[in-house]
Amino acid sequence: MSKVGNWQLGREMEFPYEGARPARQIAYVFDTNKCIACQTCSIACKTTWTSGKGQEHVFYNNVESKPYGFFPHGWDVHLLEKLGTGRWSGGTYEGKTVFEAAAPNERVLGYAPDEADYASPNLGEDVIAGTIERGAFFQGIHRAWMFYLARICNHCTYPACLAACPRKAIYKRPEDGIVLIDQSRCRGYRECLKACPYKKVFYNAITRVSEKCIGCYPLIERGEQPQCVQTCIGKIRLQGFLSPPGSERADNPLDYLVRIRKVALPLYPQFGTEPNVYYVPPLHVPRDFLAQAFGPGVEEAAAAYRSAPTDRELLGALLLFGNTPRILHRFRAEAEEAIGYDAEDREVVRVPYTEPFFAREFFDRKNDVYRHNVT
Amino acid sequence: MSNSNSLIGNAKGHYETVFNTLPRVEMLVVNDWWWTASCEYADVVFPVDSWAEFKHLDVTASVTNPFLSVFPRTPLERIHDTRSDIETSAGVAAALSELTGDERFARMWHFVGEGRVDVYLQRILNASSMARGIDVLAAEERAKNGVPTILLSRTYPKSVGWEQAYESRPWYTRTGRLELYRDEPEFRAAGECLPVHREPVDATFHEPNVIVAKPHPAIRPKGPADYGVDAGVLDGETRQARNVVRPWAEVEATKHPLTTRDPAYRYVFHTPKYRHGAHTTPVDTDIVAVWFGPFGDLMRRDRRTPFVTESYIEVHPDDARELGCQDGDYVWVDADPEDRPFHGWQQRPEDYHIARLLCRLRFYPGTPRGVTRMWHNMYGATPGSVRGQETDSRGLARNPETGYQALFRTGSHQSCTRGYLRPTQMTDSLVRKNLHTQVLGAGFEVDVHGPTGAPRESLVKITRAEPGGIGGKGAWRPVELGLTPGNESPALKQFIAGSFVQVAKGGS
Repeated sequence: MSKVGNWQLGREMEFPYEGARPARQIAYVFDTNKCIACQTCSIACKTTWTSGKGQEHVFYNNVESKPYGFFPHGWDVHLLEKLGTGRWSGGTYEGKTVFEAAAPNERVLGYAPDEADYASPNLGEDVIAGTIERGAFFQGIHRAWMFYLARICNHCTYPACLAACPRKAIYKRPEDGIVLIDQSRCRGYRECLKACPYKKVFYNAITRVSEKCIGCYPLIERGEQPQCVQTCIGKIRLQGFLSPPGSERADNPLDYLVRIRKVALPLYPQFGTEPNVYYVPPLHVPRDFLAQAFGPGVEEAAAAYRSAPTDRELLGALLLFGNTPRILHRFRAEAEEAIGYDAEDREVVRVPYTEPFFAREFFDRKNDVYRHNVT
Repeated sequence: MSNSNSLIGNAKGHYETVFNTLPRVEMLVVNDWWWTASCEYADVVFPVDSWAEFKHLDVTASVTNPFLSVFPRTPLERIHDTRSDIETSAGVAAALSELTGDERFARMWHFVGEGRVDVYLQRILNASSMARGIDVLAAEERAKNGVPTILLSRTYPKSVGWEQAYESRPWYTRTGRLELYRDEPEFRAAGECLPVHREPVDATFHEPNVIVAKPHPAIRPKGPADYGVDAGVLDGETRQARNVVRPWAEVEATKHPLTTRDPAYRYVFHTPKYRHGAHTTPVDTDIVAVWFGPFGDLMRRDRRTPFVTESYIEVHPDDARELGCQDGDYVWVDADPEDRPFHGWQQRPEDYHIARLLCRLRFYPGTPRGVTRMWHNMYGATPGSVRGQETDSRGLARNPETGYQALFRTGSHQSCTRGYLRPTQMTDSLVRKNLHTQVLGAGFEVDVHGPTGAPRESLVKITRAEPGGIGGKGAWRPVELGLTPGNESPALKQFIAGSFVQVAKGGS
């Protein structure tokens, strides 16, 4: 065991390998407030990567309704129960991570899902906590609530799957932090399935090896965002790269949203893997549930998000979501528009803060026609 | 008929159409790019190109889309031996010319044969106030490069009423002003001179279709007596045109006539559209269908499941418990036996077996008690799909002859619906805009003033059929795991309360 720094926990923690951060870390921001659980991301991913035999139960990407939705069944409830109640003091996590809570003969605390747990990928869709009575209405934090949680591999800084693999078949790319399984080394022991706290590694009974989200690395390598990000019709996703802690740049949209404005938070940071999908928490959900899911920063993140309409910089960063297939390495908030730049610092997208309004002439002389708003 | 999910498959009162209307229809021809329920009942099906396979340019527009939707011609080979739907029409027209010697049939479709449908499209665009000035071939070139073509509405964003509000132009009414009082005789007779609330024609716990109002000088309809009808007659045919005014205090004390006959009829049943499918979505593709709610399973562990997923009725957990049902059980859902699932079902047990709705029940706390929901857009059972399920060793509800895949064991959400007519949508005197021009007219007009809709809800009774566990043994697995509403394990309760972590106050 080594001691490694985990900024999400505000402390060092134990990990089976030396800490080795990539030059830049693939990272995503998902805005839960905009997701409608249409599952377009799930279908885009499935048709791209996992439509073969042996992959029937495999969804690298899924969207689940919280709190009654799970894929596989009950995954986070099971692990939280095993981990016991954890405690945050300020920004520091005082409980145990999945590495620290492991049994003496294990590297990671985990569990192996039953095959039947992969049935009903949309279990719990739209189910609310609480009941709706006649005359019910919503305001602020809702008494009856649910929200949609879109999930992919977190390409963790300290991957539990990697830590658990007895054959070192899982590796993290130094150039971008994408976590991959070397299928020629894998022997299908499924220690990674057991260890991954997010249950985003899958076993393929036809190939008899394990597989997982590859971060659409062929797209990443040519400067484009992954399929699940590009196809999102709600424009809830932005993929980019996080700089190593200490070298954040305010003009890198990922650094800005995650490390500087802290408007997006990791999912279950207490597991200790330093996951790299960051969520803007849903504003209407009770804070205790959100703190359990996203850590102690939810109040601060919600306040920052609420300030976006009057905060040009933050609004600019949020408006760049879903408006270009290119990966943005830099952004700038101008008076009327937010501008995004690619790796070569070329302008690739420009988004106005407010939708422009045009009124055409009533009579279009050139085309000899009157223009109306009703056909 | 063409390109719909599907004109017959999703007709309100679907099984009335299937078992009582279609037998009297001489011939049914369907254009479709996917084998829907409409194809199941067709004499001839023309397989036509999907959007991805168009060999003829096409464009369309909708009121809610600021852009012209352009479908450029594809360079890809067709996957199957299909034709464009415009070619099937042109082919029929050519045959009619041959049979009759009248060249006009073929001439109507002249440019289809020449591969120049852009001529027709350009004529349509030129005749539209919102599209005149758009060159359709230029729009196609832009579309190929991912560049949209914006419609030429008066304003962008299009804001209906902008000209009336900001430029004092007349509204599309007889006086040119916003009219909130209708004085046409049909509206006076119906008691609908003012905007009034009518109870739903079926989906109410109370007297159906009654106008809920206190006595008012502008609400004086012709009642049943004026038409020589007994005021106590409340059957489905009569009550759709029944004009009775009662204050809420009285309505609240009434009961739906069906509930009076049998108190088990006490659930409002809604069938709204679903996020995972729309009119032209082939909802029987497995990786899409598996997301349709909580009963998806690509491994089909329970062989009763008609496909890799199935339809379900959502019921408040307290109502479900009263019915003796657990989450995931199978139930029968029945609407008014007088006319559903089709008139005369009592004498036709084989057809009734296909048409009666059997589905999973799901605990759903998101609607008030008494209100239930089943999503629209799932393929209903047909004689072929039921035969498939009963003879296929895998239990798939798939027609062995056609491959049609139902998402129900028997029946569909349309087992419980039917069409009703609204007299004030069918008058000859209402002044309204014509469909495609700025000209005013009166009376019937497609999509503007005509019987254009039907209620998608009804009043039903729910009866437990089978337990939800695999093969009908025990409860559905997520219930056993304590993961569904009303069946929460202690761990799930703790999870929902958020008490697996504590956050010490005062830190930063």
